[in-house]
Amino acid sequence: MNARILLCAATLAAAVPAGGVWSGEQSIGGEPRAYRAPRASDGKPNLNGIWQAVNSANWDLLDHSARPGPVIALGAVGAIPGGLGVVEGNEIPYKPEAAAKKKENGADWLSRDPLVKCYLPGVPRATYLPFPFQIVQSAENILISYEFANASRTVDMKSRQQSPLDTWMGWSRGHWEGETLVVDVTSFNDRTWFDSAGDFHSDALHVVERYTPTSPDHLLYEATIEDPNVFTRPWKIRMPLYRRIEPRAELVEFKCVEFVEELMYGHLRKRTGN
Amino acid sequence: MRHVSTAAIVLILVAQSLSAQAPSGTAGRQGWTAPRAADGHADLSGVWANNSVTPLERPQQWAGKDRLTDAELEQLKRDISQVYDEGGDAIFQNVVQAALEKRKLASYDPTTGNYNQFWMVDRDIDHRTALITDPPDGHIPPLTEEAQKRRGGRAFQAVTEGGPAGRADGPEDRPLGERCITFGAPRTGAGYNSYFQIVQSPTTVGILQETIHDVRIVPIDGKAHLTPNVRQWLGDSRGHWEGDTLVVESTNYASRSIPFRATEQLKTIERFTRVSPDYINWEITFDDPATWTRPWTMMIRLKKEPKELYEYACHESNYSMPGILAGARVKEKAAAQKSNQSAK
Repeated sequence: MNARILLCAATLAAAVPAGGVWSGEQSIGGEPRAYRAPRASDGKPNLNGIWQAVNSANWDLLDHSARPGPVIALGAVGAIPGGLGVVEGNEIPYKPEAAAKKKENGADWLSRDPLVKCYLPGVPRATYLPFPFQIVQSAENILISYEFANASRTVDMKSRQQSPLDTWMGWSRGHWEGETLVVDVTSFNDRTWFDSAGDFHSDALHVVERYTPTSPDHLLYEATIEDPNVFTRPWKIRMPLYRRIEPRAELVEFKCVEFVEELMYGHLRKRTGN
Repeated sequence: MRHVSTAAIVLILVAQSLSAQAPSGTAGRQGWTAPRAADGHADLSGVWANNSVTPLERPQQWAGKDRLTDAELEQLKRDISQVYDEGGDAIFQNVVQAALEKRKLASYDPTTGNYNQFWMVDRDIDHRTALITDPPDGHIPPLTEEAQKRRGGRAFQAVTEGGPAGRADGPEDRPLGERCITFGAPRTGAGYNSYFQIVQSPTTVGILQETIHDVRIVPIDGKAHLTPNVRQWLGDSRGHWEGDTLVVESTNYASRSIPFRATEQLKTIERFTRVSPDYINWEITFDDPATWTRPWTMMIRLKKEPKELYEYACHESNYSMPGILAGARVKEKAAAQKSNQSAK
């Protein structure tokens, strides 16, 4: 077997992942379908617009059944939908002690999930929350503004300066590889999660995201997740992102801090009448 | 800029000929033309700072005078540095007024101390005597009768209210900044994380405010404002270009977030004009017939900042809110015990 055939086999393996995760690229003999996106003023693919994931990855990145919600009063509207996972191979390669912590997190998610407290959601979770986000693209910087909690990040396309501190949303540096925007995200703290199933990371997290237009209204979103403190090897998620095509579509403010004040500080409220 | 392609040069030439036709007053000063974004509009992108020390309203001592002479400016700088040297606290107050009155600033919290000046940046200063450019006297216009009545009661909450002595029955009694909700928009406060980043595409301009990672998304594609049903802490912004000036009109403010204690009827009109490589003139008009007898305008000079914005995760580490509320409960308990004892 020569090197050329080996390369072909590797491409095929990548295009048809074992877990059957959607690839976003109609493959004919392993070749990705070529789609050339409309161009921005600087000649790069134009990713401007409002995008949203439509899946249940925010509940659980892996395949999961529907289950009742934790708040009785919410009944069916508070129940958790089942869903097909977004992880390649449908397995997150935890180290044994980390797998135990994930299990604990999942069992106690309501009090541990940082999203419940309206904390900044981190990356990649911000991408697949049940909220839209908007890309504002210029040649030097790409702003990604998320509806949830007014979270945002600026992908710097020119600077290679390192972050002086750890952050919730990471430190994003981007470049173009053909049709794909590649974003290298580092300098995370250890306080965000990947989903409400308790999937977590340490401050050694490193995420490489790839945004590839596959039609005028679809992006293929891929993220490779690496954290040697928690996982035995890098792993990958992928999902389509859909353009919000409504003519009036826009982000509507969701500043959730005021919605969690009673939860977080209610016990410190002044009691009257007793 | 290292890369100058032929296409870029052509764009610059086209843009220059376009800006020559722009209405007078919108182009840069002394024939200076703003650099171009890739789509040919004036390039406002980058990180900008508002660290000006100029007071919002013109101090009484400068009545009738809109600019200082060079000698007066030098004297003012000396007086200000004396105020800084004497103060232990961070100076959030109007340091120019203090310098004019040669007075020592009182501590914000004399019991435990407060942020010290380490937390504040070096401030910029220029010849102007007030940020308010209209009315020409440099003062916020008189309140309407309705607004005077309204302010007699306690029907609003502004970012700057509260302080250690303020009410703390629950979190909603505290200022919006303390609650980590917002510092408001447009954010006009200077000298404390007063940094902005502008990212522009042909159809949208994003304006990031560093404080509490607020983002304002400004569509510039002719889209209509949101209906009045939707109220937002940062308002709802729509933009358009007038020559080289980006004009942003905002409405739909939520009742408690409104700048300068206006009402939900407030409309703000911002005009961003890049007047030199290092400055954007940022004019903001506040128009609320339910609050002021006429609209008024202030102008902030945004200065180009070489550093990046950093993440301002406020709520995630808000240790002061539980501290403030718990402190208030302890005080109440002590007061109740005292009154019980004296009743016995």
